[in-house]
Amino acid sequence: MPFDWNLLGVSFVTVFLSELGDKSQLAAIALGGSSSSPKAVFFGTAAALVLASFLGVLLGEGTAQILPEQTVKGIAAIGFALMAVRLLWPDGDL
Amino acid sequence: MKDPSMTPSPPKLSIDADRSTDAASDLRTAKASFLGVFLSTFITIFLAELGDKTQVATLLISAQSHKPVTVFIGAAAALIGTSLVGVLLGQWLAQRVSPETLDILAGILLLVISVGLVADVVAL
Repeated sequence: MPFDWNLLGVSFVTVFLSELGDKSQLAAIALGGSSSSPKAVFFGTAAALVLASFLGVLLGEGTAQILPEQTVKGIAAIGFALMAVRLLWPDGDL
Repeated sequence: MKDPSMTPSPPKLSIDADRSTDAASDLRTAKASFLGVFLSTFITIFLAELGDKTQVATLLISAQSHKPVTVFIGAAAALIGTSLVGVLLGQWLAQRVSPETLDILAGILLLVISVGLVADVVAL
């Protein structure tokens, strides 16, 4: 069975367009510009996204059953808020 | 997060002074902050993306085509690409805006993302 370049292209374009301007990319812009190590931001972002899509392919819709989405997103919201606070009030002890 | 070596003391103002005083401790701080930045970025973005539309799109294409490996390669390449574009855009902005302004803009942007996630949670 030959490698399906068409499917590869469809996956790439779909995911690329869906992520463009999405919160992860906005976070990458915010953190990449203000962080002391933009490389760490790039590797962290890319690794997180690749792992999330790997789990998506591997588990299918199973992720929603294993990890309750509300809790997961709630924790992520707190994480982003903490990073925001650290940037806005750098002298604070966070 | 309370590690004192991670607090961005005054790196933006006195990088050269820091380097000349204690190179070894500077290197340690740089390593600690690399890992700290990597982990905090990784964890928040990973949690924010779980169950998000990109993941749903990936699993739909994967289920339709029955070729999960091909779909994963395509999706992974796209995600690495958008991350790279994002970080480069941030760097590009960093050269044009003062660090203080950029930190405020970045902080507001992260707060907006946080509020968006809370809205997602409430809507679920």
